[in-house]
Amino acid sequence: MNRSQHRITTEFWWSLAFLAAIALVPLAVSNPYWLGVLIVSMYFALLAVGWNLLAGYTGQFSLAPACFAMIGAYTTGLLAYHLKVAPWLGIPAAIFVAAVIGMTLGRIVMRLRGPYLALTTLSFAEIMRLVIGNSYEFTRGDLGLNVPGLFEARLAYYYLFLAVLVAVQAGLYVLMRSKAGLYLQAIRDDEVAAASRGVDVVFWKTAAFTLSAAASGLAGALYGHFSQLVSPELGLLLQTGLVICMVVIGGIGSLIGPLVGAFLVYVSSEMLREVGGIQLIVFSLLVIIFARFFREGLWGLAKRVLQRRTA
Amino acid sequence: MTNDLSWLLKFIVAAVVASAALAANAADPIKIGISITQSPPGSVVQGTQVKDGVEIVKDMVNKSGGVLGRPIELVYEDNQGIPEKGRAATEKLITRDKVVAVTGGHQSSVCLAEIEVAKRYNIPYVNTNCWADAVRTKGYPQVFNAPIYSSRVAESIAETIVKLGLKRVVAFCENTDYGIGQAKAIAEALKQKAPGIDYKYETLDRAGKDFTPAILPLRANPPDMVLMVMLPPPAYIVMNQLYEQGVAPTARTWLYDSSGLADYPDFWQNVKEAGKYMLNFALYHPQMKLPKLAQEVGQAYRQRTKNEPNRLIFQAADSLLFIVDAIKQAKTTDPAALIKTMANMKFEGTRGQFRIAKEPGARYQQMVDIPSVTYQITEVNQATGKTLLIEGPGMPLATAKLLKPAK
Amino acid sequence: MLNVDLLINGLIIGLFYALMAVGLTLIFGILRVINFAHGEFYMVGAYTYTFAALKLGTGPWFALPLAFAAGALVGWLAERTLMRPLYTGYTSWGLMRDEYSVVVTFALSLLLINLVDKVVGPYSQRGPALVDIPRMALGPIMLSGQKLVATAVAAAMIAGLALFIRYSSWGRQIRAVAQNRLGASLAGIDTTRASSLVFTLSGALAALSGALLAPIINASPDVGAFPAIKSYVIVVLGGMGSMPGSVVASLMLGVLESFGAVYISYDYRDTFGLVILMLVLIFRPQGLFGEKGREV
Repeated sequence: MNRSQHRITTEFWWSLAFLAAIALVPLAVSNPYWLGVLIVSMYFALLAVGWNLLAGYTGQFSLAPACFAMIGAYTTGLLAYHLKVAPWLGIPAAIFVAAVIGMTLGRIVMRLRGPYLALTTLSFAEIMRLVIGNSYEFTRGDLGLNVPGLFEARLAYYYLFLAVLVAVQAGLYVLMRSKAGLYLQAIRDDEVAAASRGVDVVFWKTAAFTLSAAASGLAGALYGHFSQLVSPELGLLLQTGLVICMVVIGGIGSLIGPLVGAFLVYVSSEMLREVGGIQLIVFSLLVIIFARFFREGLWGLAKRVLQRRTA
Repeated sequence: MTNDLSWLLKFIVAAVVASAALAANAADPIKIGISITQSPPGSVVQGTQVKDGVEIVKDMVNKSGGVLGRPIELVYEDNQGIPEKGRAATEKLITRDKVVAVTGGHQSSVCLAEIEVAKRYNIPYVNTNCWADAVRTKGYPQVFNAPIYSSRVAESIAETIVKLGLKRVVAFCENTDYGIGQAKAIAEALKQKAPGIDYKYETLDRAGKDFTPAILPLRANPPDMVLMVMLPPPAYIVMNQLYEQGVAPTARTWLYDSSGLADYPDFWQNVKEAGKYMLNFALYHPQMKLPKLAQEVGQAYRQRTKNEPNRLIFQAADSLLFIVDAIKQAKTTDPAALIKTMANMKFEGTRGQFRIAKEPGARYQQMVDIPSVTYQITEVNQATGKTLLIEGPGMPLATAKLLKPAK
Repeated sequence: MLNVDLLINGLIIGLFYALMAVGLTLIFGILRVINFAHGEFYMVGAYTYTFAALKLGTGPWFALPLAFAAGALVGWLAERTLMRPLYTGYTSWGLMRDEYSVVVTFALSLLLINLVDKVVGPYSQRGPALVDIPRMALGPIMLSGQKLVATAVAAAMIAGLALFIRYSSWGRQIRAVAQNRLGASLAGIDTTRASSLVFTLSGALAALSGALLAPIINASPDVGAFPAIKSYVIVVLGGMGSMPGSVVASLMLGVLESFGAVYISYDYRDTFGLVILMLVLIFRPQGLFGEKGREV
């Protein structure tokens, strides 16, 4: 296998090791509050992984991941609230709706790049949030929608989220290891050159948008059933900002960076919150520093350390 | 280390731990959870006042020996006025801090999210300032309600409108459950009492900054009254712009507030002239007759903050007193037992004597009957005590006393 | 007459939008990046004005230029530390310069909001009015003294800026760099200095609009979200980089929102601009006034 595949495989195994460690945490920690923190970290990890596919690997810096999570959450939530649809049907429906809307958005922004793409996806996200928030007759607006839970035991949620995360990560690995992975990265590095080499840019960009939206929609639906309350809060630009922080700090464009970034940022933000609300200051500073000087993020730093050890 | 020595050490450690545990248990405080807004976007001003109210009661109770021989300890969580954070805050209080009851809720949308958690864990929840009928109509046995409820407020306001003999009323309400719920309830009440009155309500975005387009149409066609169903800060912007455009209050159009805006400590700093001549529906006026307990709490509040007390302080005090009384009566802190006791309690608080109503619907587990007043502000920067009391318990609406501006 | 009121109200709001947005237009014209921290420059101005006038006791009229200076400082710093690598080549992002600017300005925005929130506190503060007349009649319309003064200052600043860009030598340099960066540097223009000047100006103007509106729209850490979104819409609508275009677009947006709020829907007032933004970007990316030709 070539160098790119080798790198991706290494990252994948490391990410599995990380997730295995997460799987073992409940043996040491039984406090439902901290388990809840880890579950929300997994929600963010799903969003981060999905956004990384679109932005890190395909170079499309969409500002809408939180919006798709909100769409997924409201799909399953509204189905449950108005039509009493069971979550086991609601969640797949959420994935489907998010994917379709993601695909449409991807088509719409096909020719846009950089700040234009960012602005369009930002407007889209804000419009969706305002529409959902203002349709209070239907969605209960800012009040939030009450959504049924899935299990009684928090531990069940824990392992469900983890299983989904592992599945999505594995799927991403298979995708990036294949030819598709090369196509996407080619589009990121130089779209015009990729097209001239025969890469079907339209198809792959749309695919990236669709998959990313589907992952976010899934995350949102799961989160909705976990917190049993769905509100337009989910789609705030601030949440997208958090996801971007997580990916950049962890290491954008790597398979493991977003995962580690999500857990690190969210858990320490909960811990720092006790100290007094400086978590976002620290994280945004870190993002600026990493973006400015060290694009590979924490995973890049870790790799350097590892290489020095083994070299 | 020799065998004997290590056993000795283990014994010492065990003894220390055991005695520490015993000592802790003896003065083991009773933990009560307070979920309030301590940072935006919610109303931090309200949260601070609730905190002051419960702190005063906590100090009073602990000074006289606590409850069941134990001091009470208040555990605070910041819900930021966001329902999702309120849910998380209540979960934290119940699962991590193991509180015996939760209170402090002062924003309806947050309350609605929090009572779900209280129901799930079967912990008593005492609503401090959520007026929405929905909090009560859900019929959760864990939820007890200290403040007045929206449909009762609506009835009261509708009566005032009828007594003033108005024909056309326009209401501005905020796009929250409180705002829309209240505006709709007033519509219902008016339909029943006086179907001929033309009443319309307009929903405004709480996050908005400029409401002039909504106000301009009223310049051309002024109504008899503009009714405010909004909370700060957008409420202040609306009032200022109503004044700027010369829509209300004028000789033609009354300005009537149904949300207790004048109670907020930052009211005058933000509205200045726009507040003069405003009519207020209120739940507290210094000229009301109140029990001695209210005087004590009011005094303590004046000493603590150098501000005059308002209804929020008394509601918060009553919420905590209610829980304390329940613990005393039930002689235990077991939450399930507390809920049973609370459901049948008669309670004397800072606002008078109350029983817990039982009818399903908007009065479910509501403290009844909460007194209310109507007063008019007659000068800029006027203290509540100096305002003109128009209507109160035992005092029917004195329309003759009302003042109107020159134009 | 209602429609006259709405029109004039819309134009006044539009003028404020123009003051907010014109700096962003300049940045885009010269650097081809969207500064996602633009709203925070506004916020810095609002706070500087409020604090200088109230806490430092300088009074509102002296606080205005202070706010202007504070915005200039922040703008200059942002360019110097974060944006310069874009054209001097020190960033590790290589070809992904657009993405770099998105991430870095977004993070800057988060940083500024939370820094202010932590240092100053999250409560909104009402800036003092320049003129203490709560209402006055001006022909058919009623407005507050503050609105009148703010409108006059805004109009003066925009006119001044237009003259500056058109007739001063720095203004000509800026326009040259906006047209063709490489060509301009070949002609001996210091493109780095031009970029620095533009960022500084943008920060200063945004801060000034924050200060002028502080008595109407209270200063709070997240107050920047509102002018930011409006500015994005205007930059796109007016044709990225065209200053007259953005002024016209601002006025149009103000009037559209004013009428739309009454005749279409009050709730969705904020979505009008966003929908327009999307439509323009998709169908007429050069905006209403920009030039065609915006390749990858």
